[in-house]
Amino acid sequence: MFHWLEKNPFFFVSGVALVISFAGLIEIVPNFAEAARPIADLKPRTVLQLAGKEVYMKDNCIACHSQLIRPFKAETDRYGEYSLSGEYAYDRPFLWGSKRTGPDLHRVGRYRTTDWHENHMWNPPAIVPGSIMPAYRHMWKNTADIETAYAEAVTVKNAFHTPYGPEFKKGKDAWEKHKPKVLEDAKKIVADMKGTEGMSKEELMKQIDEGKVPEIVALIAYLNSLK
Amino acid sequence: MNSIQIKALGFAAILIIATIVVVTKMNIDVIHDSVNAITIGGAIAIATLTAAVAFKYIGQMKTDTASGELSEDNWDGIGEYKNELPSGWAYTFLAVFLWSMWYGLIGYPVWSYSQIGEYNEEVKAYQKKFEEVHKNADKETLQQMGESIFLVQCAPCHGNTGDGLSGKAQDFTKRMTKAQVLAVIKNGQNQLGYPMGAMPPGMASGEAAEKVAEWIANGAKGTPPAEFAVCASCHGADGKGNNGMAPNLTTYDLPLVQHVLEHGKKGIIGTMPAFKGRFTPVQEKALATYIQSLAN
Repeated sequence: MFHWLEKNPFFFVSGVALVISFAGLIEIVPNFAEAARPIADLKPRTVLQLAGKEVYMKDNCIACHSQLIRPFKAETDRYGEYSLSGEYAYDRPFLWGSKRTGPDLHRVGRYRTTDWHENHMWNPPAIVPGSIMPAYRHMWKNTADIETAYAEAVTVKNAFHTPYGPEFKKGKDAWEKHKPKVLEDAKKIVADMKGTEGMSKEELMKQIDEGKVPEIVALIAYLNSLK
Repeated sequence: MNSIQIKALGFAAILIIATIVVVTKMNIDVIHDSVNAITIGGAIAIATLTAAVAFKYIGQMKTDTASGELSEDNWDGIGEYKNELPSGWAYTFLAVFLWSMWYGLIGYPVWSYSQIGEYNEEVKAYQKKFEEVHKNADKETLQQMGESIFLVQCAPCHGNTGDGLSGKAQDFTKRMTKAQVLAVIKNGQNQLGYPMGAMPPGMASGEAAEKVAEWIANGAKGTPPAEFAVCASCHGADGKGNNGMAPNLTTYDLPLVQHVLEHGKKGIIGTMPAFKGRFTPVQEKALATYIQSLAN
């Protein structure tokens, strides 16, 4: 019946491609389109949190920490509710990761606090005996790039319609207007910190007053937003 | 037997011998361990089958000639026989075809599989079994269970020994420090959702507050000071919280553990996030048992 197809490789290949794409179209696309929508109440990350996400990516936390809780009892017992794809709708890129040398961090904001992160990033084994995580003390010295984070927010707003407010506009003026808000967010984080040998609380506040946000503050803001 | 067959047999023999040599060198118990026995049996079977199949088809290649009716199609002089499909293929194809019809029309739409559904069932079944098995768990079981939960969920902040890592979190070896009691008396407390409700700020002050705080910080032993009378109306004359109506000031009893896990807590040390819905009632009991044992 289909003998003629064997003599017409072009039609044969097109036919196979058509059948397979159709199956993909009806099985994958509807499911994906539904699941990938932002879940209710999902808010895009603030500029400070975005700056923290940049620190997270720069220092390659993803090499040891995943951000994806699978629907298995053993995982939900330890990390909390399983993850939904809609929760990553505004993450560009998402940071699922695939290696768990350390624990999953997708809901770390629910069960760790600002001062815990502060102590832990300064000296992990002092907080978690036997931990092999290195200390990240340079995060106290380096300054987070909040300006680039703002540019990132504006870019995703324009390119993907991520729901940032109308005040997110291109240009230096808009940034200068928004900057005090970022510094205010940073101060809220510092208010919950206690100071380490690296930098006292007052010193952290002073830095922020000068318009500089230490990386550790931005990172903690990001980690707290993982809920 | 030709030279290729001999080589195939030799190759199979080498494989079997090499396997046996490696297994003996590694000091693996093959005879008494069923999994190892099955594995090595499988290895020998694969080597033997490989040799036998090679043996058969190499022999066949020498004598077989082409036969059957040629189809009329030919490609540059290369023809094709009109042989039947091998029956194994044909039946498998038919079976898969029928199965896919069933799965596409009935199986998937009716019993649509969902990963989340499976997860929910798994958790529900496990929780039920867990609660049943440990309904009347003895103290030792609760203690062990509490310890393992504590080490995973609580130790990252409260420390492996529960000492709060020198003031970074609540110290479970004591109920409250004097500073904590004074802070609560001064600021009031309305976080834990006890039936008694909010504790207003400034229930006592000055020396009275100091005396109460001293007594609680020292483990609430002996008769409370006269100034405790104002606290006693909610916390009970002995400070034990009136059977769960208000927080127990002497020890980490079950209602206290449950309320803190459900609501979280912010005090002068810092904030503890809520752990609502993370533990079953038995696990909460186990945690309370374990935390109480830390005081001694």
